[in-house]
Amino acid sequence: MSEEIGLYIERVIEYLPRMMESLGETGIMLFFAMLAAILMGIPVGTLLYLTSSGQPTEHRLLNRIINALVNIIRSFPFLLLVVAMQPFIRQVYGRATGDPIAASFPMIVIAIALYARFVEQSLNEIPKGIIETAQSMGATTWQLVWKFLYVEARSSLVIGFTTAVISFVSYSTIMGVVGGGGIGDFAIRYGYQRYETDIMYTAIVLIIILVEIFQWLGLKLAKRLDKR
Amino acid sequence: MIEFDHITKTFKENSRSLTALSDISLSIHEGEAFGIIGESGAGKSTLLRLINALEKPTNGLVTVDGVAVSDLSKTDLRKMQKRIGMIFQQFNLLNNKTVEENVRLPLELHDFAASLTTEEVLRFVGLEDKKDSYPSQLSGGQKQRVGIARALITRPDILLCDEPTSALDQNTTEEIVEVLKKAHKEFQMTIVVVTHELPVIKELCQRAAIMELGEVRDVIDVKQSDERGNIKPYHERAIEVLSHE
Repeated sequence: MSEEIGLYIERVIEYLPRMMESLGETGIMLFFAMLAAILMGIPVGTLLYLTSSGQPTEHRLLNRIINALVNIIRSFPFLLLVVAMQPFIRQVYGRATGDPIAASFPMIVIAIALYARFVEQSLNEIPKGIIETAQSMGATTWQLVWKFLYVEARSSLVIGFTTAVISFVSYSTIMGVVGGGGIGDFAIRYGYQRYETDIMYTAIVLIIILVEIFQWLGLKLAKRLDKR
Repeated sequence: MIEFDHITKTFKENSRSLTALSDISLSIHEGEAFGIIGESGAGKSTLLRLINALEKPTNGLVTVDGVAVSDLSKTDLRKMQKRIGMIFQQFNLLNNKTVEENVRLPLELHDFAASLTTEEVLRFVGLEDKKDSYPSQLSGGQKQRVGIARALITRPDILLCDEPTSALDQNTTEEIVEVLKKAHKEFQMTIVVVTHELPVIKELCQRAAIMELGEVRDVIDVKQSDERGNIKPYHERAIEVLSHE
């Protein structure tokens, strides 16, 4: 038994550099997805909320267009989105396969659409009275968003972000099909293609640990921000 | 001076249209405390919310100091709203901000030439020791005091009160009415109070409009009661009400 454990440890040490490299690739894809979620997902989600019916800033057409876009992206099976985006990525980035930055493009697209929905839902939870109060004080839309909506929704925004990031981890495991690499691709290559089951499980455990860390950090931050 | 000139307001809901206000004309004088009373659904809140353009009339004109509210550009409307404070039945405080941050919120939105300091206004409503508390740590009455402080800090010319005591018990109601009375005396703004509670109007207002089914039935002068400062503890009042025929 102890011999087997020793053997396993030896193998893990042997594969460790490649595992770390894969984790680094996952990190790159997650980084771009998170950045896009914050920089684009939040504004798009806020726009969805502000243009929805019943709001002082209601705008039917704009709302319908953004809604349709978000729905189309989210209803795409992710693998097909990856494939469908190949020509576009090749045009903008020069190459579409074999590198985690090229693989980040579909991640960015799904990240924006997914987090925009979460942001919209978070904002929907804010009592109508708060919007009315901002309006009665003569707040501009900009002030309404920054000084009222984001303040009241902040812990819910963080929880949504955590859930989104965990989905990003899951999405990133698919990117092996276009040579994007990542820890998920690592697990598939060694477990499925080379029958090195122990290495595959090690990679899966790493992914689980990654998810647990995100969840823990997210909840902790959300709790700290929540004074309700 | 606030004037309603032949105001009609209808809400459209799935092809049905509902008349909330029908042909209302009314003036509220500068510096008076004016009550709007009626049963729920009478249209009193809608009438109040026309003053600061939270609602727009379907027909007719609302003017504040001679300026038609519905004709204002967005920028000018904001300038007008800046001069009008408002307090709400559900207080509408930001739960993630401290009492001090809540009270100072209007000052973050506009520049005010003659605003009060946080200390002054919190002392005025009796919450100087709650500066760093969050709303979730306060009672209903304390929350409404924060709401009042937030409205008063800008020294508004008009204070709109939308069912200010309807979420509070009777003793707290009287405390809040006292604070509003004190504010009226000290700052001499125009106060418009919407409520279904007669004692609130009786205690606070000089005149009142009685509303029914979207119409103003009467505008009357309120006779102030002599019975003052008669706040009894809750249990005494409960015995008084429940054990008498």
